[in-house]
Amino acid sequence: MDSGIFVYREEAAASGTGLLKGRTVSVQAGLSVAGWPAEAGSLALRGFKAIEDATVARRLREQGAVLVGSTRMSELGLGLRDDGAARAVTAGLADIAMMTDLVGEARLAAADAGIIGYRPSYGLVSRYGLFGLIPSMEAIGVLSRSAADIAAVMAAVAGRDEKDFSMPEEPVPGFLDGAGQPRIRTLGWIRESVAFLERQERQAFLLALEGLAKAGLTLVETSLEEFELFRAVHQVIGSVEASSAAGKYDGVRFGYRSPAAKNWNEMYLKTRGEIFGPLVKPYLFQGAYYQFMKYGAFEKACRLRSHLIRELQRLFGQADALALPALRAGFDPREAGSVSALYDAFLFTLPASVAGLPAVCFPWDDGDPAGCRAIQLVGPRLGDAGLLALAGQAVTNKTKES
Amino acid sequence: MDFTERLWCGTLRPGDAGRDVVLAGWVDTLRDHGEVLFAHLRDRSGIVQVVFSPGRSSPDLCRAAESLKSEYCLAIRGRVEKRLPGTENPGLETGAVEVFAEAMEILNASDPLPFMVSEKAAVSGEREAEAVAEDLRLKHRYLDLRRPSMQDNLFKRHRIFKCVRDYLDEQGFIEVETPMLTKSTPEGARDYLVPSRIHQGAFYALPQSPQLFKQLLMVSGFERYFQMARCFRDEDLRPNRQPEFTQLDLEASFIDEEFIYRLVEELTVRMFAAGGIDLPRPFPRMTHREAMETMGSDRPDTRFGLRFVEATDLFRDTRYGIFRQILDRGGSIKGLNIKGHSESLSKNVLQNEYAKEIVPAMGAKGMTWMRTIGGKLESNIVQFFSPAEQQAVLERFGAEDGDVLIMIADASPRLVHSVLGQLRLHLAGRLGLIPQGTFAPLWVTDFPLFEATDGGVTSSHHPFTSPDRPDFDPDDREGLLNLKSRAYDLVVNGEELGGGSIRIHDRGLQSKIFRALGLSSEAAEEKFGFFLRALDYGTPPHGGLALGMDRVVSMILGVSSIREVIAFPKNRSAQCPLTQAPSEVSREQLGELGLLDRGGDRALPGTAKKEDLLEYLSWVSRIGVSEAERPALEKALAEASRLADAVEGVETDAAPAFSAVPVENRIRAGGEPVVSRHSESRALFANAPAMKGRYFKVAGILE
Repeated sequence: MDSGIFVYREEAAASGTGLLKGRTVSVQAGLSVAGWPAEAGSLALRGFKAIEDATVARRLREQGAVLVGSTRMSELGLGLRDDGAARAVTAGLADIAMMTDLVGEARLAAADAGIIGYRPSYGLVSRYGLFGLIPSMEAIGVLSRSAADIAAVMAAVAGRDEKDFSMPEEPVPGFLDGAGQPRIRTLGWIRESVAFLERQERQAFLLALEGLAKAGLTLVETSLEEFELFRAVHQVIGSVEASSAAGKYDGVRFGYRSPAAKNWNEMYLKTRGEIFGPLVKPYLFQGAYYQFMKYGAFEKACRLRSHLIRELQRLFGQADALALPALRAGFDPREAGSVSALYDAFLFTLPASVAGLPAVCFPWDDGDPAGCRAIQLVGPRLGDAGLLALAGQAVTNKTKES
Repeated sequence: MDFTERLWCGTLRPGDAGRDVVLAGWVDTLRDHGEVLFAHLRDRSGIVQVVFSPGRSSPDLCRAAESLKSEYCLAIRGRVEKRLPGTENPGLETGAVEVFAEAMEILNASDPLPFMVSEKAAVSGEREAEAVAEDLRLKHRYLDLRRPSMQDNLFKRHRIFKCVRDYLDEQGFIEVETPMLTKSTPEGARDYLVPSRIHQGAFYALPQSPQLFKQLLMVSGFERYFQMARCFRDEDLRPNRQPEFTQLDLEASFIDEEFIYRLVEELTVRMFAAGGIDLPRPFPRMTHREAMETMGSDRPDTRFGLRFVEATDLFRDTRYGIFRQILDRGGSIKGLNIKGHSESLSKNVLQNEYAKEIVPAMGAKGMTWMRTIGGKLESNIVQFFSPAEQQAVLERFGAEDGDVLIMIADASPRLVHSVLGQLRLHLAGRLGLIPQGTFAPLWVTDFPLFEATDGGVTSSHHPFTSPDRPDFDPDDREGLLNLKSRAYDLVVNGEELGGGSIRIHDRGLQSKIFRALGLSSEAAEEKFGFFLRALDYGTPPHGGLALGMDRVVSMILGVSSIREVIAFPKNRSAQCPLTQAPSEVSREQLGELGLLDRGGDRALPGTAKKEDLLEYLSWVSRIGVSEAERPALEKALAEASRLADAVEGVETDAAPAFSAVPVENRIRAGGEPVVSRHSESRALFANAPAMKGRYFKVAGILE
């Protein structure tokens, strides 16, 4: 039943006490748990055993969670081709799955599996102990059937970690006091985003938003003219950072090393030629292209990121949160085998990644098989708790209706 | 301030007490004692302490002094005074005095420094000069060269060069410059090429040495020539090599080897004396054959013994299978006696480190080792030797209790020499057998004229080197390989400082050499026609030598790298971090040189990598690509190019956001740096694919 879900299972771990008492949690194979294999789905880390707990893993256990094992993942976490995290939850093997969200993996894995998938505000959760690929955009996300469980996880793991230097010094929002959170009253949708949907999909999405609004939300139509830039900006920055971050995978200190290289350069060429797979390798070459041939394009993409962040802030002046589609008909995120297919499938999850904003995907069911299956909400920075509260409420209401 | 009265900082002594002086230089270090400010002022002569104190300097001057920072350029006027007893600084030559400032002019301020220039502690014994990454030093070489140690290196280099020029001038040599833009010479390394604008498609070569020109100067009758010549070699990267280097190039007519030995010995003694080192004369001489057979190197380090012992004949009738097979194939067995080191070379070290790891990496299949205990040999293989063989080994090696004997046996005697030679150096280094501070010069002579190639021969040195006799048959390969040359190398402490030869001055002999090398007369004409014609016009007998001056100077100064004695060297990747050379050039420049369309029918030299973007990116990011992967990667690069155009086409005035949240600099809490506990517990090594001792093992930089 669980074949293909876990790469490592810890038997008979005892539960502690705390916020997550009795909850079972899976992590991905790219997150360090001392003594567990941490190969991150990559030959680059073949045989790697973590020597220390990631901060997230430590904090989960401190709050009583039982870490049940690490789930299979696609190479270095990019895409969903070999992912097992969502199935760990749907198969009942874990209450909660931790999953890194680079282009939107945590959100679309959940959307596809009919559960809740959440990506926190950038910098809210320590990434110490994570084998990452895109440092300025990835975040450790959470999957569960229960929004309350996700909030409890966040209460346990969010907040400053001296070991993670990318975390800003800022107050951590509360996650447990649901009633005390500013409520989301107006929900915006972006005209230029739904323009990417087929007519039928568009109607189904807007219909779903109207359904969601019945719970007392006001819908606002907004406009972000350069919406299509999110994709190019993410791909240029993401590939450059991946090329740079993957520099450490050289077969010297850990992982696979190609045998029989005659000299040092050949050892690197062969080893790195063999360890990167068919999705990651082209991505690294794209990054190398910007690094070595077109650095100006990388810098320009970073300028455009500033611009897009400002534009999204402008939209949060018109609405408390933004609704975006999640899945796209004809673009199965689990099948994306090339970089362009990946970005096609994750088109609508890119804005939150680019801007470091919190986002949550939750299942939707109109009773129409061709209807919208999942809705994505994006909130302002540190507006995480409000998003989770709204997602939880929407899922509960739906359950009551049916 | 008027500089005509200026004195050197480093020259002030107690006898100058009471003098009013003008000094100029740079702020080396500053020490603020509240009211009183001490500044070390440095110029090329040294450092002196300048004091700004309210009692002696005006309030305005004290205020101005507060603005000083390291490496500000200053002029000051002040009075020299003896320091109070107990406050002298023995680390400074001027440490018994200080200068009380009365006026100051800041000639120029300095930006914050990329690294500390100062090498002298403000208070004696306070700190060592900090270690700075070499590329950072080279990037700001003008600051690095302000450091007293670097200044000292270049001053001493100048002195050594001057001593060479003076001596050779005394001996009747004249310095003549030969061209930098020239034709490819037969030195064997790759040439640096310079495209000609006027003759499009043609190239000059930068000289690898002035070899042919100096011989032409002998044809011209100058008789004694020298040059501090800049030479260029486009070699693969090797430690302690530079793409351009300086060699002392000299040539003389109507001379023989003895003239060169006398001249160069005296010259070398004087150069080393300029650095305070006495070299013993005469320099010993050793034939190439003896060097190879007793020390396994054509540039042996003779500072220590550890000579090879012949053992092949001792095992003529052995029943030990491995030796038997090797001897049946015409092989050889030789060894070393490491006297009195059975304590430091345990069984474990000999078997698990040397026999299993080190010796196989040097190229031999195995190593035989024995220890002498109680007058007997002891090891895991002694049981295979007959009592007579054991006794013969003890006698031949002069083995006594506490000695360690090692032997290498192989079908190839060359390999036995090469591996034992490497082992000799390895063991000497490990066991501390090399006396420090000693210098052992040596002439290596009687090199073979030719080396064997597949089916033929090639020159060991260059084709203008004279053989030891003219009566040889150019078609008899075996006979050619037995010929000796009239070449000589000067070796000190196992490093080749230079070499040279008596040249061929006879056209007939030169033709025979070309024939032996398999070079047709047409090919010889095309390559060196101009030179061969010169030989036809009464060329005198001549010979000469070249010394690598960067290497000579760095040996005399005892620095680890020749980069420490070159003002503006290239780094280990043959780049100049200061100027960023080599760099791209504009299309216009390439067009003017007629280089743009040369890629059409054939690859432009040196640009093959760049022509294929995929190959280039594969190389710079060190990610190998298989043929099967190419189409997908080509597609990905085409997509990347489209995306680059897409983002570059959008106008924005926003500042770049390198992260979604502004990045701040932060200091890790806890103060003191600590070694990671995973490093201490060695957990960090647990995931390593290959280890050697306490290190990650990787492939060699070179094959």
